[in-house]
Amino acid sequence: MRTRDLDRRELRELVAQIAADPQRWRSLVRHGTAERAFEQLWRDEHVDVWVISWMNGSDTGFHDHDVSRGAVAVAEGEVIEERLVLGGPARELHHRAGDVFDFDASHVHRMRQDSDTPAVSIHAYSPPLWRMGSYAVAPDGTLRRESISYAEELRPVEAAA
Amino acid sequence: MAYDAIDIHQHLWPEPLLGELSRRRSAPMLIRRAAGWVLRLRGEAEAPVDLADHDPVRRAELVDADGLDRVLVAPSVPLGIEALPAGEAELLLDAYHDGVAVLGDPFGAWAAVALAAPDPAALTRLLDRGFVGACIAADALCGPDGFDRLGPVLEALERHDAPLFVHPGPVPAGAAGGMPRWWPALTHYVAGMQTAWHAFAVWGRPAHPRLRVCFAMLGGLAPLQRERLVARGGRADSDDGVYLEVSSYGARAVDAMLREVGVDRLVHGSDRPVCTPVELPLGDAVHSALRRRNPSRFLHPTATLVAA
Repeated sequence: MRTRDLDRRELRELVAQIAADPQRWRSLVRHGTAERAFEQLWRDEHVDVWVISWMNGSDTGFHDHDVSRGAVAVAEGEVIEERLVLGGPARELHHRAGDVFDFDASHVHRMRQDSDTPAVSIHAYSPPLWRMGSYAVAPDGTLRRESISYAEELRPVEAAA
Repeated sequence: MAYDAIDIHQHLWPEPLLGELSRRRSAPMLIRRAAGWVLRLRGEAEAPVDLADHDPVRRAELVDADGLDRVLVAPSVPLGIEALPAGEAELLLDAYHDGVAVLGDPFGAWAAVALAAPDPAALTRLLDRGFVGACIAADALCGPDGFDRLGPVLEALERHDAPLFVHPGPVPAGAAGGMPRWWPALTHYVAGMQTAWHAFAVWGRPAHPRLRVCFAMLGGLAPLQRERLVARGGRADSDDGVYLEVSSYGARAVDAMLREVGVDRLVHGSDRPVCTPVELPLGDAVHSALRRRNPSRFLHPTATLVAA
């Protein structure tokens, strides 16, 4: 039983370990639509772990994770991470199968998939995701942040309807 | 896959039960006063009862207005009917079961369990008649003795793959005298639900590894005591088979619980007509999870579908 939240190094190790063991998530991978599909692999009071299936066109939009730090391991395919840069183009990073990256709670990013080959990634957050910030640019060019439940991102209505 | 929108927690006293309660000469009983009907319970002050609240036609209209497809009627456990002596309880419980069984759509119902002599065969017959599971008072499941006494009943639920709904129980005689009407709901009920929550983790789960359980009123907020539980040497293991129903709580408490246990373990219940459901401003995804996805997973575990 864990007795404290995980740090970024521990989160990296966790997602890398799970990504390298497809038996733990293979049956939960769902490539069907352009929507991402989420399955929770684990949740306790200190960490939650998800497997996310990506199709061409999947896009999270820019978001933050409020008080949670996180790590992502790409298990299959490639996902693109964009980091917001004020007054300039977003910084684009390509994460390929075998890559692992992590971030602290101040991180703002967008993840998308832009390939005909479906992707699978393992995500861990500590403390477990609760609220998130969802960003959009208003017609006048100002940046807006909306506070949303993590369910909005990881348990979208479409998945249940 | 489309899930029904379900409220797992309402109360409705069907006609046969109203009749039996009004014929009684001791609590629990319905009494006709000049100003209308009142309910007399063992531990609480007399409370007015609006019989229109228990009209199935009016309730079905509210089901529509609430945007629901299905409502589960639970026995009004705080009335103390289940705790009456053997021979006395059965008449009232039969009236409840027979009355709610014929309500038809959109109503389903929880079975009640007579506590003087818990009878797994009687419960199994009710489950075979279509009752979704059993609703039992928190006070009857607050320690090892309760889980011993009710063990065969809980095993019957497991065999049937049917869930348990833990509901606050009756107030001890005299405990609420002279107190505001909300007193039991904020003291006895909260303490009882918290005790049952911990008791289930300690004695219930080891004995019933497959049982799915839902605690009413967010388990008296017991899961929010996790840090204190750990600080005092307890274990706080996650239990995917345990759900929490949200009736009487609003955005603050539900969001706090969501942070603690995650959205997948919370289910919608309103406790009508005792409480009026409130809209939770937590987003469409939470709304849908609580009313559609999670109740379906709780009631029918095979319905664990996710994104297409």
